[in-house]
Amino acid sequence: MDQFIEQIVTGLSIGSILLLVALGLSIIYGSMGIINLAHGEFVMLGAYAAWVFHTYLGLGLLASLVPIFLVVAAFGWVIERYVLSLLNNRPLDTILATWGVGIMLQQAVRLMVGSELRYVQLPPALADSMNVFGIPISSYRVFLFVVSIALFGATWMLMNRTTVGMKLRAIIQDRSVAASFGINAKRVYALTFAYGAGLAGLAGALVSPLKSVSPDMGTGYVVDAFMVVVLGGVQSLAGTVASAFILGELSGGIAFLQNDTVAKTIVLLAIVVLIRFRPEGLFTARVRA
Amino acid sequence: MPSNAPNSSGLQRLIAQLAPLLIVCALMFALPVLLNNDFLLNKVARYLVLGILTISLGLSWGFGGILNLGQAMSFGLGSYAMAMALKLKTVPVHTGASGLPDFMVWNNVQHLPWFWEPFRSLSFAIAAGLLVPALVAAGLGWFMFRGRVTGVYVSIITLATMVVINLVIIDQQSYTGGFNGITDLAQLELFGIAFDAYGRATYYLVAGCVLLSLLVAFAFTKSRAGLIVQAIRDHESRVRYFGYDVALYQIFVFALSAAIAGLAGMLYTVVMEFASPTFLGVQLSLSVVVWCAVGGRQSLVGAFLGAVLVAGMQGALSESAAFLETWTLVMGALFVLVVLFLPKGLAGLAQSTWRWVAQRRQAAGSAVARGVSQTEGST
Repeated sequence: MDQFIEQIVTGLSIGSILLLVALGLSIIYGSMGIINLAHGEFVMLGAYAAWVFHTYLGLGLLASLVPIFLVVAAFGWVIERYVLSLLNNRPLDTILATWGVGIMLQQAVRLMVGSELRYVQLPPALADSMNVFGIPISSYRVFLFVVSIALFGATWMLMNRTTVGMKLRAIIQDRSVAASFGINAKRVYALTFAYGAGLAGLAGALVSPLKSVSPDMGTGYVVDAFMVVVLGGVQSLAGTVASAFILGELSGGIAFLQNDTVAKTIVLLAIVVLIRFRPEGLFTARVRA
Repeated sequence: MPSNAPNSSGLQRLIAQLAPLLIVCALMFALPVLLNNDFLLNKVARYLVLGILTISLGLSWGFGGILNLGQAMSFGLGSYAMAMALKLKTVPVHTGASGLPDFMVWNNVQHLPWFWEPFRSLSFAIAAGLLVPALVAAGLGWFMFRGRVTGVYVSIITLATMVVINLVIIDQQSYTGGFNGITDLAQLELFGIAFDAYGRATYYLVAGCVLLSLLVAFAFTKSRAGLIVQAIRDHESRVRYFGYDVALYQIFVFALSAAIAGLAGMLYTVVMEFASPTFLGVQLSLSVVVWCAVGGRQSLVGAFLGAVLVAGMQGALSESAAFLETWTLVMGALFVLVVLFLPKGLAGLAQSTWRWVAQRRQAAGSAVARGVSQTEGST
């Protein structure tokens, strides 16, 4: 029984990291239709930003979260403004362009700070473990879980309860009609992309104490996160949450029963089958054709 | 490259379209005469093989509109087919009486697995190197295109499938050599010719296959099926309303492209003298997309040259690590610029330059003609 609960908790922990990374990706894909292959690099930038703030400015991880969000969001804004907005009607080409941007970011970091692994300290306040249902769990993992849910809540509010969110939803429904009502679509897109990038940066900063920081750390995340988005369904934030935890539990569980390779293989195959038979995702009502 | 209906000047046009292909191939065959360095020749042969792989992607992406992010899967399958056959040729040397490849001995495998058995025959291996990728692609194509999966989702499915096969190959170490791949191979021997990786015979074999792939791909794009495939790329539902079986044509171009990639994979094993899971890795697969985009996805020769030039430059600069890292940065920037401003790649640039020059010349010519007619009128 204990082992079972432990397994559930591991799955939740994997799921909350997945959700952190996938949230930004989901916003960008769901609202702009852009598959952002540079997303992993935004995660990486966030992790490096955490390392830089810590090493050079002596800021703790928690204190630097807001500046990290802003820095990575600024990167995202520039990339949307000067690269992606030029590719309005060529969705397949945005994959290529964002991939190129990703290579550049990765390589630039490698050239500037080297490809050695970097380490970020756990916030001292969260370094111990706590008891949940009689099982010791690292406080930091609980913190990650809470933060990922909180960020999801904030994003949901932003989309559904603010003017910017309303404008964005209007543009998703019909860009030209929205524009004729005076909504500046370009500006809203740039802000959306920046917000998604900022979320990825936060994700990177938050996972940096758990994993080592390296220029190519983002690559693995982007694939997993993308699977989350596909499973959850485009334009469904709640679906993203559900699928993040489903995938987290699944890969945790199968990895426990079999091994990592089998877990990855099964998850990938499940995604392939899902795309074939339900491309709109598990948690979306059928979209009007 | 817009396709033209056959007309009176059809033959002339065909020759004009084949001209770049033939020029490039002539240069390729002439190279060993100019380059008296076996080591460099081996390197060039490697880039030519990558060029074949890129031609295969150009066929499915540029002409079929199917962005296959798992193109390296077919490449890797071909490569392993050849490596398995060449490995079995060396067995007595490396493992003595038991007759097993060395890595199987290390992994305590007692008998040669059943799926290795037929690879004792080289002809079987070569057939498998072409057919296995084609059949896998046809199966995957049937799975996707019958369900009308399009665009981005095709890319995800192909990428995911490749990753799965890659994982399985790495995981099944005792049957596939795992992470290390299959190394220490015998030389390929065909029709009594031994193909040493550093020999001229190998170079000419590769060059011949380049020519063959270019011609097959070119013939396909000019065929009726090829035209329908291009029509599907441009407007899928319109073609469907005309009553064509869209999925069937997509499956065909997908499988043809995979077979060409399988051919490239087999040659790659011969040139590199090993097979490795990196041959069906995400890195290579995405690089092929870059080469194809830079060279020009809608031009077969362009895609081929894109691969040879970019991979060649990368190879030339890889001597110095610092240089290589800067190069990767430049490469990323170059790629973004090409995607933004040259969606048809260098081939598109060459084409529009050529058209511009021709127009200028025509304009100048007609001005002269007008001048002549005016003077005639005044007299």
